[in-house]
Amino acid sequence: MTAPLRIVVVGGGGVVDGPLPLRLQSKGYQVVTLAKPDEVMGFIYSDPPDVVLMDLTDATEEVLAIITSLKDDFFFSTIPVIGMIPEADAELFDWERCPLDDYVSIPMHYRELFTRIVLSLRRLRRVFDNNPLTKLPGNTSIQRAIEQVVGRPMAVCYVDINHFKQYNDVYGFAHGDEVIRMIARIISNSVKEAGGGFAGHIGGDDFVFIVPQEQAEAVSERVIANFTAIVSELFDEEVKCNGYYLAHDRKGHEEKVPLLGVAIAIVPTDYPKIAHYAKVAEAAAELKKLAKKSHKSCFVVDRRKY
Amino acid sequence: MTARRDEILEIIRDTRSLPTLPGVVNKLQALSENRKSTIEEMARLVSSDQILCARVLRLVNSPSYGFYRVSTITNALILLGVNVIKSLALSSSIFEIMEKSILGLWEHSLGAGVAANVIARRLKLPEVEEISTAALLHDIGKVIIKEKCPGDFEQVESLMKARDVTMLEAEREVLGTDHAEVGEWLVRSWYLPDKLSEPVACHHDVARAEAHQVKTAVVHLADVLVKASGFGFSGDEFVPRIQPVAWERLQMTDADLAAIVEELEDKLVEAKNFSLEIQSADDGTA
Repeated sequence: MTAPLRIVVVGGGGVVDGPLPLRLQSKGYQVVTLAKPDEVMGFIYSDPPDVVLMDLTDATEEVLAIITSLKDDFFFSTIPVIGMIPEADAELFDWERCPLDDYVSIPMHYRELFTRIVLSLRRLRRVFDNNPLTKLPGNTSIQRAIEQVVGRPMAVCYVDINHFKQYNDVYGFAHGDEVIRMIARIISNSVKEAGGGFAGHIGGDDFVFIVPQEQAEAVSERVIANFTAIVSELFDEEVKCNGYYLAHDRKGHEEKVPLLGVAIAIVPTDYPKIAHYAKVAEAAAELKKLAKKSHKSCFVVDRRKY
Repeated sequence: MTARRDEILEIIRDTRSLPTLPGVVNKLQALSENRKSTIEEMARLVSSDQILCARVLRLVNSPSYGFYRVSTITNALILLGVNVIKSLALSSSIFEIMEKSILGLWEHSLGAGVAANVIARRLKLPEVEEISTAALLHDIGKVIIKEKCPGDFEQVESLMKARDVTMLEAEREVLGTDHAEVGEWLVRSWYLPDKLSEPVACHHDVARAEAHQVKTAVVHLADVLVKASGFGFSGDEFVPRIQPVAWERLQMTDADLAAIVEELEDKLVEAKNFSLEIQSADDGTA
């Protein structure tokens, strides 16, 4: 048995008070109706639903802001948002400003609504190659993003976690997954707070972010500083004092493993030698070896302009 | 009595938010509207208010994010990101507004957080921020009782007056539980980690702490010192004595305590200024 899908219905008007919640429940959905727009983000942030239905009859700025807030955060952007729009308004609706995933018109045809809910969930699964653990875009999107910046004054930054394998072995994969989710959030927040860019998850403990070249070092420093702060949550006091924990290598020998850190390789994309996607990855692989030589978190910038 | 306990547990299960001072909400919204505000500025404000602090920790520890034990505001803001806090703050009713009568308790919590920070640094303890956070939250049970069980709260107050007993004793008689336990229930049901919930639960009975004895001892000491200093108002005028077990756990000398008290006096002047600033931000012009 899988848990029932959870739907949040937003809207002050008639739709919420009408038969909609009951009709959805009869289809096996768990329904939460939120009449006041100012409680919506708090609710969704602490308990994300599977689908959001929004009554956009006479929608206020506050209601429209909910849609953009959701679509701005990668963690929530995969939740389908379906607008319920009065038939007469639909044609003139500003889709650019309100990035809905789909709409149904009011008066409602419930059977159509049910189909659209199912379809929007299927479509999101198909269109996005997001990593299921972190919800960050995956390799198809990463390749596309890199191709778009080749030849421009941008930087592609490859991130991986030092000593991640040992951490996973000693503390278990549930905690390993937690670390992966944490670094994902740190990278995407740092990119966003520096003014925007791209963040993606290659797989395992490998990540990519893309920012303007002049921002690359500052964002890398931010990622390292924030990850260092977060690492304090992951080890107990004794380990933090010692600066290492004990693990066993393949031969069963005890080894002292340093606390987790990150290595970042920064590849500027406007050099002639960086002509296409594969070259970016190649340069990064070499640089990462350099960055990995240090036991502490650090970043290395590719400065070989030939 | 057990029935009343169950009712309070039920109330806590339905509690998604608690009110805080209007000045705090206004300040947070002002920070949120400013595109340039940094994580550090936000962290400073959130770390001064027990309700904001608990809300933010509840959010970052909620199962959907998949983080299991975030215990400091700095780390919570790093993981949630400034934008999440901003869009939360701008949706106003998330943080309900509290009447002024609770200002005394608000100052007491702020003072306890400040005191715990002074103690932890003086005694060179690890995890200073966690300890300060636990101290900030130690009386959050009192907010639940006052806001969610106003009838009981009135009874507690009249009992204190009639028989000159401490708030803790009055709570136990009226509710069959007390603010320490109620606070623990809330903090646990909001998924906050043990290093925060145990000091909240045991700040009146340090010996009961198991995993986090030192942190609990600091929170107890901070509570006592702030009450003795006269900063804020925790609900009654009684100053409990420092429990011997807390002295032991902290391996503290009289000289340590004297140094702590001296530094605390300065720090509480700063805290008072901050409190006045928050009160003047009340009208939304600050």
